[in-house]
Amino acid sequence: MTISDIKEQKLSEDDMKALEKLEKGPWPSHVTELKKTKYPIEYYAWGVMHKYSPWYSGSFRVRYVFSGILARRSRDGKVSEVHFRTYSPAGRFLSTAYLKKIAYVAEQYGIGLLEFAGNTGSIVINIQPDKADQAIDIIRNVMGSDVGGSGDTFREFYACPGPALCEFALYDTLAAMDFYRSHPEIYKFFNTQLFPYKIKVKFSGCPFDCAGANARSDFTFIGTWVGAPEVDQEKLREMIKSGKVDPKELVKRCPSGAISWDDDRQQLKIDGDKCLKAMNCIKMAFPAIKPGKNRKIALLVGSHAQAHYGPRLSWGVALLDDYKEALPFILKVIDIYSNNAPRRHRLADLILRRGFRLISEAAKETLPDKPKATPSSHLRFTTGAVLSDDERVAYTEWAKSLVKEYYGGEQ
Amino acid sequence: MAETFVPDPSERINKRIPMPYAAQLPDIIKRNYGKWVDRKFHGNGIIEHISESGESIFTVKVGLPPNSRISVDTLKKIIDVADTYGLKVVRATRGMNVEFITDSLDKAKKIVDIMKGYGFPAGGWGNSLWHITSCTAYLTCSTFAVDAPSITKALYDYFMPYFTGEEKLPSKLDIFVSGCTNICAGTLAGDIVVVGHWGQAPTPDPEKIKFCLPTSAEALKKVTPDVAAVCPVNAIKLYAKEDGSVGIEVDDKRCIACGRCKNVCDYFDWDPDKVGVAVFVGGKTSNTGSGPRLAYRIVPWVPVNPPEYREIVAVVRKIVDVWKKNAESGERIGDTIDRIGLEEFMRQVGVPKSRHNACIEVSWNFGVRQFIKYV
Ligand code: SF4
Ligand code: SF4
Ligand code: SF4
Repeated sequence: MTISDIKEQKLSEDDMKALEKLEKGPWPSHVTELKKTKYPIEYYAWGVMHKYSPWYSGSFRVRYVFSGILARRSRDGKVSEVHFRTYSPAGRFLSTAYLKKIAYVAEQYGIGLLEFAGNTGSIVINIQPDKADQAIDIIRNVMGSDVGGSGDTFREFYACPGPALCEFALYDTLAAMDFYRSHPEIYKFFNTQLFPYKIKVKFSGCPFDCAGANARSDFTFIGTWVGAPEVDQEKLREMIKSGKVDPKELVKRCPSGAISWDDDRQQLKIDGDKCLKAMNCIKMAFPAIKPGKNRKIALLVGSHAQAHYGPRLSWGVALLDDYKEALPFILKVIDIYSNNAPRRHRLADLILRRGFRLISEAAKETLPDKPKATPSSHLRFTTGAVLSDDERVAYTEWAKSLVKEYYGGEQ
Repeated sequence: MAETFVPDPSERINKRIPMPYAAQLPDIIKRNYGKWVDRKFHGNGIIEHISESGESIFTVKVGLPPNSRISVDTLKKIIDVADTYGLKVVRATRGMNVEFITDSLDKAKKIVDIMKGYGFPAGGWGNSLWHITSCTAYLTCSTFAVDAPSITKALYDYFMPYFTGEEKLPSKLDIFVSGCTNICAGTLAGDIVVVGHWGQAPTPDPEKIKFCLPTSAEALKKVTPDVAAVCPVNAIKLYAKEDGSVGIEVDDKRCIACGRCKNVCDYFDWDPDKVGVAVFVGGKTSNTGSGPRLAYRIVPWVPVNPPEYREIVAVVRKIVDVWKKNAESGERIGDTIDRIGLEEFMRQVGVPKSRHNACIEVSWNFGVRQFIKYV
């Protein structure tokens, strides 16, 4: 196969046949789903078998709508594909009444296909290009949502289910997401293309960080506490007696070395100064051990998976008592970011170029009385790699040997 | 629902504030909001949440096809099940699956059975595979190296017993598959993160690259065009050709195949046979154990052979096997690596060492740990 074969994009029955393999196997198949829709599956089949995406980016627009619409055209120019990102409610609790409206939009204005739990947080609906204008009106007036969250603007915010469904939540993640998303000073940036690159905001209710906020948000909110976890000694003794909890395990598995067990008095002690809020003990002995009562919200900045200088985790900024307190800081940092970052640089890229002082000064000014963090140092990561022929051969041979080990001799 | 709107197109500039979360919460959740005090597992796919009021709700996690791509037909089945046996609400999970919510264990079990009948398994909590999250890749994306949904399907087909709980794992396992270095599956802080990449420097398409360049070399004097400015290692050189147009050259000694240039310009090409995936291991965002961290690039490149992707499945299997063999109970992969050492983990995986996976062990202090000593 050569690159010129690829450019021709010759669709073939063979590719469709090969794709059938992806309908076998026990896990539900996306190919089976695609076949129930008007999605141009032959193009996908061609792509999979040629190891080449069938799509170029397209230039489809709906006038006056500046975000959330993505368009592709096939390499042969014959087919176009348009999809919308639509905002979901915080926590992504979706009533069936709402889902029925989504089904209606996807059927009447789309091709009967959606990405149910999109990674930005949105529900993605594939749309017929010639009905895109009306689809926007229906999404707004019937679904009660909006399109948006693509390009150099705020991406869909994301919150863990928090107090709605989770006993560990240390603050109201859903209310926090709603507060920021609908605040006029934040909301004004939605669906514009005014930032150097995207900005993401995520909310996790506790240090388990189910929202992945530590690794994928320019502004990160994580519930935490000060001091030691709360221990109900009575309840803990019960759990130990019934065999549910082993106190020695609690001691051993605490990464902070903060726990000791007094066997004579049958009492657990946790040193609040040492505790790293790792949650290991809480996970093992909940509800006898719970997060401490002095609750805080950790505010961090700058994590992402993709940017100029590679992936990063968040830098710690300050400990808040209320999620609302971060607003002036966020506005200030957006201002600094917008005025100083080159195009396609994330907030972290700016921090790496200009130093964390940019952030700590903004925090000093906008969060004067809040305890500050000591940010960790970061390693430089690269995700891709240019391999020499020898290296490629070495890794191929190794992978083939594993295939032999797991699938047997025949290949 | 057949409404027609004929607004003045300029009205479309009036965006809408996304709806408040409370609008879609069932009453029982509203009543017990913030009052959950305990949880119980009923098998791998059902969690009971117990409120201080004494009320309980049951959540059922059900696996969806890769990239959570579903047809309206399947959506309607989900709606039906949620209407009949649930509280008329579902939740889209972080890991691209769906959670049903109901008020009795019987109904929860019924949901498990019916969805299973439709071919959608329940599972994914506790010490098991929680999800394999996939980006959209060839389905709708024009920036890409490999097709993540079909790789995800191949992995899920093998790892499904770890999702349903038939096979046990030492701890929770999250897998992410991204079609390219943009990592749209969400994060490099996952237990196992598969990332497609070219494995080579990009070749500008001789005919079409001009669409990404200024028409005249004069423009280069004023500003560096995006296609070169985005390169983090300055591997893309633009120059004035004799006829006054712009020439482009990619220095493959410098290029790190990061894909940033491809993000801003479709017209780069490569040899599909040199494309591969890297496998990163041991990241997480949770603060348990040694805390949040990005994953180590243990395997820099694995060949990509659709539609079965046996090499990729075998490599991921090997990594999980080495983890299972060494882990103490409750340990995420990253914590096992910390305890036995990265060198030893890689030795057991057996992966050849090169300049691309010379992982350096470092200490770190991410997430809320960055606040500890100041409090
Ligand atoms: S981050 Fe914490 S509060 Fe939020 S869902 Fe996870 S465990 Fe619950
Ligand atoms: S990771 Fe790459 S292939 Fe996947 S959706 Fe993102 S840009 Fe496309
Ligand atoms: S892949 Fe990355 S390093 Fe290579 S030329 Fe493109 S932007 Fe530069």
